[in-house]
Amino acid sequence: MIDYAWLVPILPLLGSLGAALSARKARQNAHIPVIIGTAGAFIFSLFLLFNVGQGTGRTIVYPWIEVAGLSVPVELRVDGLTTMMLSMVTFVSTLVAVYAAGYMHGDPGYPRFFACIGLFVFSMSGLVLSSNFLLTYVFWEGVGTCSFLLVGFWYAKPAAAAAAKKAFMVNRVGDFGFAIAMFWMWSVFGHTLSYDDILNPTALTSVPESTKLGIALLLFWAATAKSAQLPLYVWLPDAMEGPTPVSALIHAATMVTAGVYLIARTSLLIQDAPMAQLVIASIGCVTALLAALIAVTHNDLKRVMAYSTISQLGYMFMALGAGIGSATQLALVAAMFHLFTHAFFKALLFLASGSVMHAMGGVIDMRRFRGLRHRMPITCWTFAAGGLALAGFPLTAGFFSKDEILAALRSATHAAHEIGQPSWAAIYWVIFSLAVFTAFLTAFYTGRAFFMTFFGPEKLPSPDDPEAEPEEAAALAHASDPHTPGHDHGGHDDHHLGHESPRIMLIPMIVLAVCALVAGLIFGPTHWFEHHLARTPGFSSLGHPEHGHGVDLTSMALGTVAALLGIGLSWRLYAAPSSAPSRLARTLQPLYRLSMAKFFVDEIYNVLVITPIRMFAKFCSLFDIYFVDGFLVRGTAWIPRIVGREVLAPFQNGLIQFYAAVTALGVAALLLVLLLT
Amino acid sequence: MPPPDAFPFDQLQNYLMIGAALMALGMLGFLARRNLIVMFLSVEMMLQGTALTLVGFGRYHGNWTGQVLTIVILTVAACEAAIALALVLTLFKQKESLDVTLWQDLREPGLPAIEDQPGEAEPIEAVPGPESYPHLTPSGIEPAHPRRPWEVRRD
Repeated sequence: MIDYAWLVPILPLLGSLGAALSARKARQNAHIPVIIGTAGAFIFSLFLLFNVGQGTGRTIVYPWIEVAGLSVPVELRVDGLTTMMLSMVTFVSTLVAVYAAGYMHGDPGYPRFFACIGLFVFSMSGLVLSSNFLLTYVFWEGVGTCSFLLVGFWYAKPAAAAAAKKAFMVNRVGDFGFAIAMFWMWSVFGHTLSYDDILNPTALTSVPESTKLGIALLLFWAATAKSAQLPLYVWLPDAMEGPTPVSALIHAATMVTAGVYLIARTSLLIQDAPMAQLVIASIGCVTALLAALIAVTHNDLKRVMAYSTISQLGYMFMALGAGIGSATQLALVAAMFHLFTHAFFKALLFLASGSVMHAMGGVIDMRRFRGLRHRMPITCWTFAAGGLALAGFPLTAGFFSKDEILAALRSATHAAHEIGQPSWAAIYWVIFSLAVFTAFLTAFYTGRAFFMTFFGPEKLPSPDDPEAEPEEAAALAHASDPHTPGHDHGGHDDHHLGHESPRIMLIPMIVLAVCALVAGLIFGPTHWFEHHLARTPGFSSLGHPEHGHGVDLTSMALGTVAALLGIGLSWRLYAAPSSAPSRLARTLQPLYRLSMAKFFVDEIYNVLVITPIRMFAKFCSLFDIYFVDGFLVRGTAWIPRIVGREVLAPFQNGLIQFYAAVTALGVAALLLVLLLT
Repeated sequence: MPPPDAFPFDQLQNYLMIGAALMALGMLGFLARRNLIVMFLSVEMMLQGTALTLVGFGRYHGNWTGQVLTIVILTVAACEAAIALALVLTLFKQKESLDVTLWQDLREPGLPAIEDQPGEAEPIEAVPGPESYPHLTPSGIEPAHPRRPWEVRRD
């Protein structure tokens, strides 16, 4: 069974090829091969999921690089962590592909879209299946490329092209960290990049702790780019320029979890460097808080969800960072469980947002529509399911995973004493309390988005809305033009604004809503998830308490209270139109402004990074124009010209005897040289 | 193949000296004279000097190489002579003179022409035209042959 693990990545790849090569007449059916491919991959990963043994199943598909001393096979690895990720990725991808078949209907780039989706699923499943760092790196780049292609899907739209470029560039920064970490591991661990050789306790003990700390921090650097953490998260909000299914699939559910997966995969290495864990937890915490604070004021539904994604990823890193001492196992399970549940409800929230956007003729500004719950009941209630899960409402998926994260953070405060760093306990307490506060903010902005969109008196976007930006109003006025790229709707004129989405879009949403509601209940309290993850080799070597941990009622209660408070406050402020929100905004004006301006992070980047690099680029350009081209190239060309004109031209005086005399003298000089030497 | 008879180095030296003298004289002529035909003859003389040297060495080494090469050179020289004379004729028809300095217009543009100083070179004399060609005594009766139309006298 495990020997056929390569089928999982290959099936979507074949689907992608099928979509890419679809004939002109079959363009509108380009989704069929991709959906079949991803669904096949999902079914097969379920087989793997149930057949994964206690140890590692490894299978060498193809000896890829075989040079003296360097052997990098295309080796796939099937264990608990892999099969969990694999099933999640293929499941969400299949649903999103089905949804996209409805959402992208009529788009001129329809086959291209599905080809990219298939390619993405190929890369992502390759990433989680690969059994050495180099192969992971290859697929890591692969998902980055697919993200670039899909963010810039409407490449004729300048904002989308810029966002694609930004996503790619920022990810390159992270890839750099990954590459350095890989080189370092290669030289330290005896010229091997295989997970089995590096991530085993024997190999790890032979390496000094400072080296492990360095490698861990470099790996985390790589993860910050892919998983949108603090210094490098800036690409993700902009990536919302892509079509909504892409946001749902890549920028919420699957690709952005690659960084979390990498850290989880290498947790055996990272647990030996507690300092790195502290850094990871702190960065995750600051990211979660910052993104949540930005999300509370923004009015663009998709952008709120994007910041929420960043915040939740910060949560996962917080959990991973809590893995010190005896809390490691708990922390890893918490992070992966949150990753797992988050994939469902965040994909769902994006799909529901896309459904709203689809119905509103491409308008996504929450001030422009209201009270859609009667017009779009299914979208409304599926969004509610996702929102409750995101907010951590009791017994939904997010509730259990968030509770586990809080519990992990709390046990990290005890573990800090165990590893002899009592001062860290205080830091983890701060992180824990900020995490609870972030949970409150999460519930608040989720509720705000939900109530602003679906509650209150009904209002549909119209071109003469004072909130409408001029270009958006123009887009709305021309909404009947079905093939305008960059407008996220499938060609419905404004007479039909505000209808429920077609069934092909609703079914994936309903499936995901069910998952968002019950996945936590099924996998959390039953410990199925934990037991499955324990099938990962090395898991038992992670730090764990002497006796099993019970349910942490304190953190559960705190999380619940935070969630209910957030939801209640948003209900109070936004369920019915009132002046309360604007009064509140005026009271907290500086904070509101700061949040509205996204904490000026883009501006800071502009001053600190972009401007210096642009200046350097300008310098390079001038250097090229004036020194390389001007001095070296033209200068070299100028020498023969000036020599010819000033020195050699007078010789061409038209007198044949003069030429002959010069020739004769030349021959004489040669003869002289020959005779004298 | 051994040499049929002795051809010592002293003997070779004579040939080489004459060859070198021919070569040098030819070069001198080429450099000093302005008349195209004379210059061409000088070049031919240089060629003969080379050919003589080749033949001498061939004899000295007792093989045919030098002679074979000489025959090849002569063949080529014959062709070259035909072409060169044709060219000289064309050049003459352009300028009505064989003076090579009349062709110095072919120099690099922008350079000053090199004028002859009076008394430095022999003056260019117009070559007498066809009307002043010498009349030879007819050698017997002109045979009857059809005249071509343009040779038929009008009067």
